[in-house]
Amino acid sequence: MPQEAGLQYKQMLDNYLRSQGEEDLYLGQQFSRSFIEKKIAPEDVISIHKTSIEELIKDLPSEVSVSFDFLIEMMIHYGLALKEHQSLIRKQEAIQMEMDVAVKVQNTLLQTATPEVNGLDIGWISRPAKRMNGDYVYFLNETSNEVCLAVADIIGKGMSAAMHMSMVKFGMDSLRYEKRSPSHVLSFINNMIEKSISDSMFISMFYGKYDTDTATFRYSSAGHEPALFYRAAEKSFTQLESKGLLLGVQEGANYEERTVKLEKDDYIAIMTDGVSETRTEKGFIEMDVIEDLLHHVKSESAQVMVDYLFNELSRMQDYQLRDDFTLVILKKTK
Amino acid sequence: MDHRSSIEINTEWDIVAARQLGRNEAKSTGFGTVDQARITTAISELARNIYLYAGKGKIEIEPITVGQRTGLLIIASDEGPGIADLQKVMEDGYTTSGGLGAGMPGVKRLMDDFRIETEVGVGTTITATKWLH
Amino acid sequence: MNLQVEQVDKDLVHNFKIIGEIDIYTAPKLKEHLTNLEQAEGMEVELDLSEVNYMDSTGLGVFVGFYKEVKAHNGKMVIKGLNQRLYRLFEITGLSEIMQIKEIEGGEDHASV
Repeated sequence: MPQEAGLQYKQMLDNYLRSQGEEDLYLGQQFSRSFIEKKIAPEDVISIHKTSIEELIKDLPSEVSVSFDFLIEMMIHYGLALKEHQSLIRKQEAIQMEMDVAVKVQNTLLQTATPEVNGLDIGWISRPAKRMNGDYVYFLNETSNEVCLAVADIIGKGMSAAMHMSMVKFGMDSLRYEKRSPSHVLSFINNMIEKSISDSMFISMFYGKYDTDTATFRYSSAGHEPALFYRAAEKSFTQLESKGLLLGVQEGANYEERTVKLEKDDYIAIMTDGVSETRTEKGFIEMDVIEDLLHHVKSESAQVMVDYLFNELSRMQDYQLRDDFTLVILKKTK
Repeated sequence: MDHRSSIEINTEWDIVAARQLGRNEAKSTGFGTVDQARITTAISELARNIYLYAGKGKIEIEPITVGQRTGLLIIASDEGPGIADLQKVMEDGYTTSGGLGAGMPGVKRLMDDFRIETEVGVGTTITATKWLH
Repeated sequence: MNLQVEQVDKDLVHNFKIIGEIDIYTAPKLKEHLTNLEQAEGMEVELDLSEVNYMDSTGLGVFVGFYKEVKAHNGKMVIKGLNQRLYRLFEITGLSEIMQIKEIEGGEDHASV
């Protein structure tokens, strides 16, 4: 087969030597495809060229002829690099496919339904910076007058974050219907994951429980960003802080629990550091920027509010999220 | 049985000597210019690996005939640290190559048969054959 | 992005001065420096972060991992020179309650054991 290609190549080269026209170059370019299709290596192409030119020019200086041997030697390595490159691309495609599967599994396993709660408007968004999300939102609707919510941020991103996240989910599921308080839930999950998490891994988590009968929100934090609490009557924000260590650092850690009472149009914004530590070209976005943005849409539904904040903050980062972005808003409607 | 030639690899210059020996043997076995260059490149990589990772070792070259087939057998052996993870060494893009097509996957591509025997702390023997087509 | 780690040991206390940003890209380098340190029983380590102006959660993870290791050897780890923003990070995460932190820039000592 290389002989056959060699004869054709020689004919084309002969034509070009006579005409030096663009048409022959074009045919040459087309012909090079057949080299690739027949998997003829670059060094073989040079060898074909060498044989052809030696036959076409009878008195070719021997130095020119020998120079092709030098080029063959060089091209062998080029050819190897090319083959390695092709093999790496195939490998990358395989990894990409596995990643697609993992993303699907994550989305299915960790999906959560927004609960319908009388008098409480709930809106939320969670967008990964890369393909796998290291942030996690989970709603548990135990009884008709109570809703529980967890917002967690697992250190690092990608696959390992997703795997650790499922531990958190199953931990919370196992406590379902047990009517545990937020601080108990965090203690339980901390003790559970502390044993199976590597030394430099941890999870921050905010856990809250809203009671529709009393309009109170009980919350605890395991090293998580403070939530923002907007009091409509005072038109001002306060931070909902609560003492507690990151999950997975120390067994037996205790979590403080606090309570706030919501009035009509009050809302609570729970976020991850992808929101509060938004970093742009010019530096960090300060909390008052976030408060101003929220204030601007305070009369909208909770979902419109979170979407608005996401759009504005991602625009400020030129639409390139540097960290996973998660925001939940709970708003008392009546 | 045909003759077996051998070159000790101790310095970088011995790599050149191994290449020269390989090219001469490939030529006298009847390989064309391109295959001569392929065999030489493979020997070069094997010798370089000995020089870089084991410090010293040897390259042996032997023309062989099996049934109707004639070819050239190359044996690279050292008493170096050995290879702990063969799969990794044979993986494309592994650090020794750095995406430059060199290393063991490159040698395997250049030759027709290829095998590695290695033991950590004992050494490595790589056998590769190129057949005349 | 750059990260520099200098080690100056004096009076049986290992002193590390960390200069630069600690994020997902530079954290492995810091981790390598810290894990290279042979863990001796009851050893003391002081980490100077006065020239670190940014750290993300991956960076925090390196300190958490190192803290666990030092504690397992009954040692002591002190972090000093945190700027307000970084101190806030240690505070929010509850780490300031378990780690010993001193000499906070522009603030009084919040030492705890």
